[in-house]
Amino acid sequence: MTYETLAASRCPRCRRVVIPPARLCPDDGAVMEPASVAGVGEVVSFTTLHSPPEGFRAPLHIALVELEDGARLFCHGDETRGMRIGSSVAVEAVNSVFYFSHMGFADRARLFWRRTGARSEKVTAITRSFMKGMWKGRSGGAS
Amino acid sequence: MTRFGKRVESLPDLMAEAARAALADAGVERPSAIVVAAMSPEEFTGEGNYGSLVGTHLGFSRVPAIRVETATSSGVAAVYAAFATVAAGLHRSVLVVGGEKMTHVPTPRVSEIIGRSIDPHERTYGTTMPALAGLITRAAMYRRGLTLKEISQVAVKNHAHGARNPYAHFQEEVTLEAVMASRLVADPLRLFHCCPISDGAAALLVTAEPSAVRIAGIGQGADSIAVRYRADLTSFPATQAAARAAYAMAGFGPERVEVAELHDAFAPFELISLEDLGLVPSGKSGRATLDGETALDGRLPVSPSGGLKARGHPLAATGIAQIVELCWQLRGLAAGRQVEARVGLAQSIGGLATNNWVTLLEARR
Repeated sequence: MTYETLAASRCPRCRRVVIPPARLCPDDGAVMEPASVAGVGEVVSFTTLHSPPEGFRAPLHIALVELEDGARLFCHGDETRGMRIGSSVAVEAVNSVFYFSHMGFADRARLFWRRTGARSEKVTAITRSFMKGMWKGRSGGAS
Repeated sequence: MTRFGKRVESLPDLMAEAARAALADAGVERPSAIVVAAMSPEEFTGEGNYGSLVGTHLGFSRVPAIRVETATSSGVAAVYAAFATVAAGLHRSVLVVGGEKMTHVPTPRVSEIIGRSIDPHERTYGTTMPALAGLITRAAMYRRGLTLKEISQVAVKNHAHGARNPYAHFQEEVTLEAVMASRLVADPLRLFHCCPISDGAAALLVTAEPSAVRIAGIGQGADSIAVRYRADLTSFPATQAAARAAYAMAGFGPERVEVAELHDAFAPFELISLEDLGLVPSGKSGRATLDGETALDGRLPVSPSGGLKARGHPLAATGIAQIVELCWQLRGLAAGRQVEARVGLAQSIGGLATNNWVTLLEARR
């Protein structure tokens, strides 16, 4: 699986990245530079509208996703079944509209391998991921 | 203020009713200036130039009038403009009047009009106010451990308060079961977690003369209109900034607040706001609500008027109505729902927490 690259803007002063591209940084007004980010990230939150506004089909699934470098974006998706806050999703743009899709175990494993570099880093990352999983398992009831 | 709810009168008539009551209460025949708050009258009723329209309708066509707008917190923005005008010595007595007329418009259209206060890019994803509130609710449940029962208890408590307020839109109680079983609007947010669509107006007079209640502090806080630019969904930095400014002006902190009116447009917002304002320690707002600490007979009564949930939310009227309620409470005039207090706090949220206000009132007796 390959991941789409999304057009973004980066602030040369505070380094924040925003999607879609914007001319000025919303915080310090600096002129932003073009950037691109991988279309993979974690779900910050999501909801389903059963009576969406005009022009949208019910049910409407909306997610707020945070990409690897901190940029957040709104996306649509086919379903939110099995989705949780923190779930990994792939994001792609179709006609300038962002869509999320669940990532299967194999996709996540490949992504994990791609993200981590040297062998020692992989061991650290696997340990951290395992600990994070345990933590999520503990507090998952709240969602 | 007028009674909130489904009203047949026109918006200028509602504003005039509220304004006349405020002027009579203050013993003032003619204010030296008028500040009008209205969020979207052009869209809801087709009228514009609201400062002059209301001034003329009140028989004050030569009294200078301006209109102020900060989305759903427009009412307090108008109070702030009046306060600044009086503090600067430009006028001695300024009438503040705000209102909205919405119930004659179909609900999807009302949602669309209110939704225009959301970032234009985000709106193309169908993000109405309830949709964004749904995202915030889920994140707050996950990150802050809020439960559906704690969130639902806010609506139960505010309906119990509204049942004692003759000005409230809803004057009947609801059960926890009814709230938790109401239909899903924006998962996990349910219908009874959301404030209603209401008509109504509220008014008050800001004067340089000595009065029973003084504005001890008033502060504004701002945040990005784009929700995707924010680092955290589970608190509102605009409320925190407004509170810091108001407490600094007043010279005291949350420990002196004895009654509050909060912006529960969606029930979880009351819990988030209690902590943003420092009225309840971080992580304790849900428990405090279940324990009755924020009920009329609790340690800190919150929204004795019934809040946005039960008193109603005619947009630009709301911020003024909160302050009117606190004035009545501090003067001992809130029959049926009176609490014992000398200091009150009002918090108003504009848009999706992009333009928030905190006002501190103190009784002079």
